[in-house]
Amino acid sequence: MKDFLTVFKFELKTQLLKRSGIVTMVIMMVIVAALTSLPRIINLFSGSGEPAAVTEDMAINAGSGGIEKAGYLAPSDEQTQALLVQILGAQAPQYPDRESLEKALADKDIEVGFIVNPDLSYEAVYQDRAMMEDRDTTLGTVLTGIKKEQALISHGLTSTDYAAIEGTKAEGRTTVLGQNSLNSYWITFILMILVYFIVLMYGSSVSSIIAREKDSRTMEILITSTRPGYLIIGKVAAAGLAALIQFGSIILVAVIGFQLNKTTYPPELLMMVQGSLTPAYVWSYIFFSFFGFILYLFLYAALGSTVSKMEDLASATGLIQFLFVAAYMLATMAAQMPESTVAVVGSIIPFTSIMVMPIRFGLVTVSISQLVLAAVLMLAFVAFFAYLSIKIYRWGSLNYGNKTKLSRIVKEALRREG
Amino acid sequence: MKLEVQNITKSFGDKEILHGISFEVNSGRAMGFLGRNGAGKSTTIRCLMDVFHQDSGRFLLDGAVFKPRKMRIGYLPEERGMYQKNDILPQLAYFAMLRGASKKDAYQSASDWIDYFELGDYKNKKLETLSKGNQQKIQIAQAFLNEPDILILDEPFSGLDPVNAQVFKDTIAGFVKQGKLVIFSSHQMSYVEEVCDDVTLIHQGDIVLTGDLDQIKREEGRDKLLLSLSDPRQTAALGDQLTQAFPGLHSTPVEDGLILDTQGQDLQGAIMGWLAGQAVPLRQFGLYEPSLTDIFIDKVGEKA
Repeated sequence: MKDFLTVFKFELKTQLLKRSGIVTMVIMMVIVAALTSLPRIINLFSGSGEPAAVTEDMAINAGSGGIEKAGYLAPSDEQTQALLVQILGAQAPQYPDRESLEKALADKDIEVGFIVNPDLSYEAVYQDRAMMEDRDTTLGTVLTGIKKEQALISHGLTSTDYAAIEGTKAEGRTTVLGQNSLNSYWITFILMILVYFIVLMYGSSVSSIIAREKDSRTMEILITSTRPGYLIIGKVAAAGLAALIQFGSIILVAVIGFQLNKTTYPPELLMMVQGSLTPAYVWSYIFFSFFGFILYLFLYAALGSTVSKMEDLASATGLIQFLFVAAYMLATMAAQMPESTVAVVGSIIPFTSIMVMPIRFGLVTVSISQLVLAAVLMLAFVAFFAYLSIKIYRWGSLNYGNKTKLSRIVKEALRREG
Repeated sequence: MKLEVQNITKSFGDKEILHGISFEVNSGRAMGFLGRNGAGKSTTIRCLMDVFHQDSGRFLLDGAVFKPRKMRIGYLPEERGMYQKNDILPQLAYFAMLRGASKKDAYQSASDWIDYFELGDYKNKKLETLSKGNQQKIQIAQAFLNEPDILILDEPFSGLDPVNAQVFKDTIAGFVKQGKLVIFSSHQMSYVEEVCDDVTLIHQGDIVLTGDLDQIKREEGRDKLLLSLSDPRQTAALGDQLTQAFPGLHSTPVEDGLILDTQGQDLQGAIMGWLAGQAVPLRQFGLYEPSLTDIFIDKVGEKA
């Protein structure tokens, strides 16, 4: 036990003090802090933060600066011409014909030209249209409002009458006894991505630490100083705790950012976060993510010890990467069809349940029997693969040189005593 | 302490590397474990350190089964390495703690050995920042951590310059003086000859020689005389004359002159009288004591 703690502390310190890791974590914390503060930052730049009031007189609103750098083709009737002056402003140039309007566009005197007919149908003409350009839509909205107003008047109604009719609705409410996918989908998906990154990041780290020990011939000093089991479990536990500390810090920044800024969040977002993070979901997420993570770390550690040179590491761990990416794809599929047979099976098998079970648990009601079976299998797999990885690590410490098939490695590792 | 190696066999696949080797090592006497490349030295040491499991045979320490992880052992593997990107002092302390030292003792021991090798300025530097020779010293230092009772060193002199080799020899001599059990393998016969009291010679997985070095030298030199002339050009002719004058005498030319094997006959006085009568320009005549290199070449040279 003392040796385990010695290995654990040494490896943890090495993981936490790695300069590249510290820089990555700090950058991620800043990004998370900025993201959680985004609504507040947007409000700061947009003034009061209150949504713009909708005035009844949309034409005047648009004309007071809504459509800038626009010109128009002088219409034949005075009523439309007056309307356009009101919408675009008196300063908006008018052109006698289409040719002169297009020339003004080409000369960049204006950016958009409008040709409006007496029935309020219109054409917006651009020289080049930018991606976020919306002046044509704005004019369309204003003209549509005016047409609606005209239609209401022709039926003897005012806009107030229309608003009252529009506001009439049947009162109702929705009660969800299990999980509300509408609220849970995004938060479970984000948490799944988080697990994906953690496993890939720390898995690669563990396998490269072990491969480097073997490459540099440090392994022989280590295995003659203590038991291989202490070494490998110490390394995996250290990587696990380093992940908890580093990503826990990022999550803490996210929680603090959320608490500080939640008054500025849209209600839908608040409901999405608070509604889906139930204690049961959080516990299932922690259990399957944590033990699944440990399971993958043991796999990475075992395969890291099978290579003799660092440059062979990527090909050796390719199998796990493939397995893990398959788990990720299955989880994304389960997010769309959480009750499908593939999703149910995927949520029980440990290599995939790391991501599929939390996704299903967040979206639908998972039966207790499935949950217990998945949990028991997960623990059993972690125990078995810990044992196997110790054996493979011991095998790896004695074998340099020729590449060996994984099936043969497993066979020889299990056959070897001690 | 007495370490006994008893009938150790070890195979890799179908090839048997060690064919039931036996020898013993006593504390307070350094034992040089010698052999050509591929003779089985490192395999024996790795079996002893439980890196490999022997197929049969056993290692006993004072009559009980030898368990390396339960002993205070300083081990220097043939292919040595340490963490290149870690600071020197913490990683040496780490190795000491893995061998049972408390944190305080581990740091103290690591610090003392770094100072001993005059690398105190590099304690908190990464290993990769040191020159290859200084890295070698740190790797050797890790074997001395934590006051080991047993030192097992595989090719410790390789890569050391003469000055550092002398420091290392003195260190080993210090351990031997303290009554520690010391085994080391080497190709460098002169170092072994200077440091070791006992030697064991392994050849193609068999022990061909083991025991007290002085006694071995005496036995290997028994019935042999060394003769050298002031004019080396006359050596070959003199050898022929001697073998004709003394039937049964074998003459072997060597760099320094001739080695005369009397085959158990007491011929020293007669040969001296004969030489005086021939008036040859004699430079040296006396009992022959072979060097370890001579013994090594004699035992394993022609067999390879």
